[in-house]
Amino acid sequence: MKAVGARLPRYDGIQHVTGRTVYVDDVRVPGMLWAKALRSPVPRAEVKRLDVTKARSLPGVHAIVTHEDVPLNVYGHLEALGVPADEPLLAADDVRWKGQAIAVVAAEDEATAREAVEAIDLDLEEGEPLLDVRKAFDPDAPQIHHWGNWYPHFEDGMDRRQIRKGDVASAFDRADVVVKGVYRPAAIEHVPLETQISLSVPEAGGRITIYSCTQAMYFSMGVVAAHLQVPLNRLKFVGGTVGGGFGGKVDTASETVTALLALKSRRPVKWRWTREEEFLASSTRAPWHMEIADAVTSDGWILGRKTLTLHDSGAYARFSPYGLTKHAFHHLGAYTIPDVHFDGYVVFTNRVPTTAMRGFGVTSVSFAVETHMNRIAEVLGIDPFELRLKNGNRIGDTTANGVVLHDPSTVAVAQALAKASGIELADDLGAMTNAPRSGALLPEHLAAQQVVNGKEH
Amino acid sequence: MKLTVNGAVHEVESPPLTTLLAVLREELRITSPKAGCEQGGCGACTVLVAGEARRACLLPLAALDGAEVTTVEGLGTPEQLGRVQEAFLERYAAQCGYCTSGMMMAAEALLRSNPSPSRDEIQTALGGHVCRCTGYVKIIEAVEAAAGGAR
Amino acid sequence: MASEVLLPTSPDQAIAAFGDGAGVTVVGGGTILMPAITYGRLQPEKRLLLLDRSGLSGVTRGDGAVRIGAATPVSELEAGDEPLASVARTVADPEIRGQATVGGNVCATASAGVPRGDLQAPLLALGARVRSAGPQGQPSEPLEDFLASNRAGRLLLEIVYDDVERRAGHASVHRPHAHHYSILSTCATRSGGETRVAVAGAGPVAVRATSVEQALAAGEPAEIAAHKVLDDVDPSDDALASAWYRKRVLPTIVARALARLEKEDA
Repeated sequence: MKAVGARLPRYDGIQHVTGRTVYVDDVRVPGMLWAKALRSPVPRAEVKRLDVTKARSLPGVHAIVTHEDVPLNVYGHLEALGVPADEPLLAADDVRWKGQAIAVVAAEDEATAREAVEAIDLDLEEGEPLLDVRKAFDPDAPQIHHWGNWYPHFEDGMDRRQIRKGDVASAFDRADVVVKGVYRPAAIEHVPLETQISLSVPEAGGRITIYSCTQAMYFSMGVVAAHLQVPLNRLKFVGGTVGGGFGGKVDTASETVTALLALKSRRPVKWRWTREEEFLASSTRAPWHMEIADAVTSDGWILGRKTLTLHDSGAYARFSPYGLTKHAFHHLGAYTIPDVHFDGYVVFTNRVPTTAMRGFGVTSVSFAVETHMNRIAEVLGIDPFELRLKNGNRIGDTTANGVVLHDPSTVAVAQALAKASGIELADDLGAMTNAPRSGALLPEHLAAQQVVNGKEH
Repeated sequence: MKLTVNGAVHEVESPPLTTLLAVLREELRITSPKAGCEQGGCGACTVLVAGEARRACLLPLAALDGAEVTTVEGLGTPEQLGRVQEAFLERYAAQCGYCTSGMMMAAEALLRSNPSPSRDEIQTALGGHVCRCTGYVKIIEAVEAAAGGAR
Repeated sequence: MASEVLLPTSPDQAIAAFGDGAGVTVVGGGTILMPAITYGRLQPEKRLLLLDRSGLSGVTRGDGAVRIGAATPVSELEAGDEPLASVARTVADPEIRGQATVGGNVCATASAGVPRGDLQAPLLALGARVRSAGPQGQPSEPLEDFLASNRAGRLLLEIVYDDVERRAGHASVHRPHAHHYSILSTCATRSGGETRVAVAGAGPVAVRATSVEQALAAGEPAEIAAHKVLDDVDPSDDALASAWYRKRVLPTIVARALARLEKEDA
């Protein structure tokens, strides 16, 4: 293993520092057209009229695509994983978020494409948008998704991610204090320096070469093939050079559209999103609403936790059911809590559909859990390190999902954090390890969840 | 309109209100400066004009008749890297690379006028440049290393 | 885009080319107008460019006055008088400061409701007058009058303030960003016993905080006088901050600017 510990040059380093890295925007093909999109100006509306005739006849306009041009308009990114399809490539009967693409124009230059977009006849009848996940459950909330206001297609027809472990009601009865918190991290934009972009080049034989900024080439290939209803061998993807993705370039945002425009116009078509378009229309990390209630003892044991999570999926499901699943798995943080009640919902709002971003689904709950631990420590008047070290995972502890831990690192990491922060831990805390719980570290309420040597306690 | 780019004189045909960025990338096919925002907000398009760092996306061609422009292509080649390029390479100052051209041109302009800048001066000079990958530390270290002399 | 680009090489040429301003878009450095053109939001009929070659650039000191040509790059103010120098240093970044002009900055109108023109406040605090070309010839008037007037048909030529000893202080609140968008900014100066206070970000243009000035002149302590600023402004909600926030914060930064005015070495 010569690479481990060695200082290796980046394989793309020389290209980057000499300006020779070829991003999609740097590819030059003759006859290339520029694309611009007509996007919904409002968060929710019915499309009463969409007429591209006048726009199409402008000189320099080569093609316009709408939902009618898409062989399979509604295709789910995660259909292969059991998440049914809900999102149209191009809006048909209604628009559900401000910025949703309705039609896309390919023209000789950007200015002409923009002019054509403005010449498209669009009549919208606005509806009352739902913008607050908490209101989604009100009986008189606007119903904004054909599945209802929250995702109903988890396994066994469940409309939420649910975890039940132990007896949380009993934990709350036994508690000395109940500590509650509500945590609402906001949406975060990826802001890659390279905006969304693709360039599709039609070949005489019917194949299309698609230069893409996607983070997930094979995935995007499958998505495009599905929308176009063509076999995979009709597509040649060129990519792997991404000007920043961070999770935001997995949604295959532009490739199918440029492919359709290339097929229709028989010319190469590039769609480079403007920075404003990137902020408006590219997916974000989701906003979350998390309510945590912990049953705790005065000496700092967390007996049980009740959690309600509302994940703001935006207008469509995309990857949200997957993100919520990961979130559910991690909702106890690095700590062992035996009695657990978790409900998580993927809630629809009339906002841009949300997506993955570094640590998808988990950063939200980590933030909430760690803040909550500090809150507990403050309420109880105990050292926040002590609280974490006592409740921290040990060998033989089980997670909320019943996974037995073999080598958890909570104790070591907490100790390292204290050291790096110049905080001197008390001797007993500094001496802790992740060895299976025993003695004072194995109070009665943690006995049943412990599995050591394959045997339950 | 005459534009000298990296020492080569070009007769440029683009309309007068075309940005220098579009002239470089589309007409002259010099693609190192990038269209990160096209409104001066990110620094990915920065080039040198008469040795000064400027946003190519904000400069109209009409204001540049006879101007001398330097881009990354003018700093060096893979066979012979310029001092800023070498430092950025060795210090891992580029990840996705999209902000790198602009960062290096700003660094080059700084070092031409201030060969031993303080960290504060580096941060001020590069202050308008956004990077989403690196967290900036290695970029600043690369500029310090470039200032420190050939390695 | 049917635009004619005019590049005057002298002030007289610039004034002649401007004419009565009808159909003319004046460009200083282009940092504000070029993005509008790139994004298709502005399609000017005729364009006029002011460059160093127009002779309207440069800072000169003489005859008891400091004169700043309208096409002077903002960067040329950074080594000059306070509070102008400090505020100039907060405008965008060095690359944009090297291209943007003082005139372009002073004449900048609000964008998406957000007031622009960071240099208005320090220039008001310096008692600046502006000379502009228009139908009435080339009148000179106080900057506050110019800002409040209908500027269509007026071409800004230069900004002038007295070259005297003065104390200066300034305080501001920014949105942290590569470009440091200013939410509120206050500049205060004192010379010859007269204190001038100007506020930016609390209305479409920067204004003199005359209520604060009067309170100070009447001997009120700075903390009390600072609160009078709310009589001089009428802030709005915009993308940067709410009117409520601006009203809450403004008296504090006015007080801060006044405190810095006192602390400054003359």
